[in-house]
Amino acid sequence: MAGAHGPSSDAADDEVTPETASTILPTESPTLVWVGLGAGLLAFEVGALATFLVAILSDTLAAASLPGVGFVEGIEAAARQLPTLLSRETVPNEGYWNGQRWVGTFLGLRPEVAWGIRVALVYLYALAVAGWAVLGYRLYRREYRAADWTPRDDVIDRFRNHGWGLFGLAVVFMFVVMAVFAPALGPTTVDKNMRNSYDNELTYWDAETDSVETILVGEANLASQSRGDGEERVGPMEYDDFGRFHPFGTLPTGRDLFTFIAVGSRISLVIGLLSVGLSVGVATSLALIGAYYKGRVDLGMVLVSDGVMAMPQLLLLIMLTTVLKDTWVAGLYSGAFLLALIFAFTGWTYMWRSLRGPALQVSERQWIDAAKSFGQRPRTIMRQHMLPYITGYLLIYGSMTLGGAIIAIAGLSFLGLGVSPPTPEWGRAVNLGQEYVDTGSWHISLIPGLLITLVVTGFNALGDGIRDAIDPRSDAAGSDADDGAAAGRGGGA
Amino acid sequence: MSRLRYIAKRVALSVPVVWLGTTMTWAIIYLGPIDPATRLLSEGQTQNPAAYEAARTQLGLDQPPLQHYFDWMGSLLTFDLGQTWLLYQGSDVNALILDFLPRTLWLGFWSVLIAVCIGVPLGFYAGMRSNTASDYVASMGGIVWRAMPNFWLGIMLLAVLGSSQAIFGFDWQSLWIELDALTGSPDLSRLHTVEGFLAATKKVLPAAIVLGSASMGNEMRIGRTAVLEVRNEDYVDLARAKGVSERALVWKHIFRNALIPLVPIITSEAFLLIGGSVLVETVFSINGIGLLFFNAATQGDLPLVGTLMYVFILLIVGVNLLQDVLYTVIDPRVGLEGA
Repeated sequence: MAGAHGPSSDAADDEVTPETASTILPTESPTLVWVGLGAGLLAFEVGALATFLVAILSDTLAAASLPGVGFVEGIEAAARQLPTLLSRETVPNEGYWNGQRWVGTFLGLRPEVAWGIRVALVYLYALAVAGWAVLGYRLYRREYRAADWTPRDDVIDRFRNHGWGLFGLAVVFMFVVMAVFAPALGPTTVDKNMRNSYDNELTYWDAETDSVETILVGEANLASQSRGDGEERVGPMEYDDFGRFHPFGTLPTGRDLFTFIAVGSRISLVIGLLSVGLSVGVATSLALIGAYYKGRVDLGMVLVSDGVMAMPQLLLLIMLTTVLKDTWVAGLYSGAFLLALIFAFTGWTYMWRSLRGPALQVSERQWIDAAKSFGQRPRTIMRQHMLPYITGYLLIYGSMTLGGAIIAIAGLSFLGLGVSPPTPEWGRAVNLGQEYVDTGSWHISLIPGLLITLVVTGFNALGDGIRDAIDPRSDAAGSDADDGAAAGRGGGA
Repeated sequence: MSRLRYIAKRVALSVPVVWLGTTMTWAIIYLGPIDPATRLLSEGQTQNPAAYEAARTQLGLDQPPLQHYFDWMGSLLTFDLGQTWLLYQGSDVNALILDFLPRTLWLGFWSVLIAVCIGVPLGFYAGMRSNTASDYVASMGGIVWRAMPNFWLGIMLLAVLGSSQAIFGFDWQSLWIELDALTGSPDLSRLHTVEGFLAATKKVLPAAIVLGSASMGNEMRIGRTAVLEVRNEDYVDLARAKGVSERALVWKHIFRNALIPLVPIITSEAFLLIGGSVLVETVFSINGIGLLFFNAATQGDLPLVGTLMYVFILLIVGVNLLQDVLYTVIDPRVGLEGA
């Protein structure tokens, strides 16, 4: 989706004449309304945003053991005080049954209903933000853009009629929202349920003594493990003995699987985006340089990339994670940052291979010769006259590589490498449930695997949709063969 | 003649690729932040300077790096791979590889074969009947199949096979040939007997299906679009106008040409197969070279990791050369255009 890049800053300078007045917003100054809507949407979540940003900062400082950690932690605490609409505090789902009614949950509803309301609110909010962005783009298109029509409009219109691509977009949207709102979506938090489960208490209704009791979360977890059939499991959409609701059931350790998956999706997305971003950067610059200078430069790049590709990607990943696991980089964000770097180092070759052809084609065009004869500098030619023609391919391969990266990350954590243990990761959930698949606790492995399949299919579908939208004639063998190279499956994970 | 020249050129180009890959491996292991000698020693031994020095000398790390590099490359080149340090302590690496590699190759052979035998026909079928319901079902299936993680698919398949009595009404383990267990290494010592061959095949069959899953999806997709494209070529119309029978048209004119884009796909699956073998061998506990690599990496036998990586590089480059040879057979135009 093309993001909203409305020039909101110079909104006030624009005279909106009656002829050009918007038809989508019944007002004289649609931009103001749009900005106001955006501010309103942001206000709901300003606390969460601030907390998130400050937390990243303090993690980085702590990992690099730089001074100022205490100061940043102070800001973090202050940021937590900011009100947030979609937080667990506003719509709590954790409460207990006191014999007559639920205490502590949202409006005294049952925990599952309270949790469902929160999830629905989060997704409604995300939809509203997406709608706001689309609105902004349309506003920009009608009011501020000088041209009535650009080729990109056709691309967007084609994408809007591409059912398969829209399906992919919807799946990716759901996944991204899950990753972004992970702490608010889970029925409990990682800190309370997993990291410091013995520092937190839980109030519950004890059916045997007919009274309200308290217990440490860690001990409650021990009593709600999923390790077999019948009594020994807490399946999807079930309550455990302590009145806690588990949408996806519990792990063999008694922890909540949904919370685990929601937080795990965040780390997958971060690694995926970071690594794809880095490898796109490397691959694009190399493809442009190779296509511009051709000859020996190009041959050298072919050899280097063949050399990297001759080492199977997953094995290279395993080797690099083992060798680098004691360095300080491995401490950043539970090893996610290092993983992203390694992925970029091993993955750019596949992307570069797919970009090389289009880049070479562009470099043969006449306007490149013309620009050279004008005496334009090589960098300018590459950036202005070549890059725009391969950005479309970047979107396609980027989307498909992201799916592959998610599979590969899951594969690594299935093997016990990569993201370090207390931090949730989807592959580890599959590993934890491996022994119990043929028992009643099948959900532990099955659900994360299905989600990986769905998300990867979604990213591939999005890539297909973008490809068809950018180049409607590309539904041919040649371009598909290229996809095969780029959309590697994370080295066979 | 030009075909020979073409192949000779590919062989010459593969030498620097092997050299680059091996050099990178050496740099990662011996110039990286981990001292391979410390990783080889146990907790107690690291405190002992004599043991540490001994390990360094034996690894050749007391030499200047460049000297060590040439020694290392030289021993790889002559396949003088030495002994293992931690894993199967002290055994000959050559013997270890010869023992483990056949199981992986056996697994890889079946996974390629199954993927090709199911994926390609299914793709061609979907392509010949494009935009029908069966095409959509096949295409959808291929896409989803391709997106499934190998390790997860393996676990699920094992669970289904383990309770096949309840699900399908027959027991997989005792069907046709009795297996001692669902998982484990195939017994390759009795391959020459019919029964031994079948038993070894049946043993790796689930693993091979899982390992080939990604390739199967890819081959189906590419096969479908290739057939679609060839069907619309002018020479197909011409052949039809000439009165070529429908059967000859499909087999001689459409399928043979549609195979061309499939060759690089099938061989590039070698990357996926070798990478995926680590996960699949872990799930199915097959003692193959992928599992050996993984164990060496996690237990800290870095010299063995480097050696195995060299073997993998040779395997992959070899498969790439095979692809070039195959290309010249299927598409005689290759090599004549100076490609």
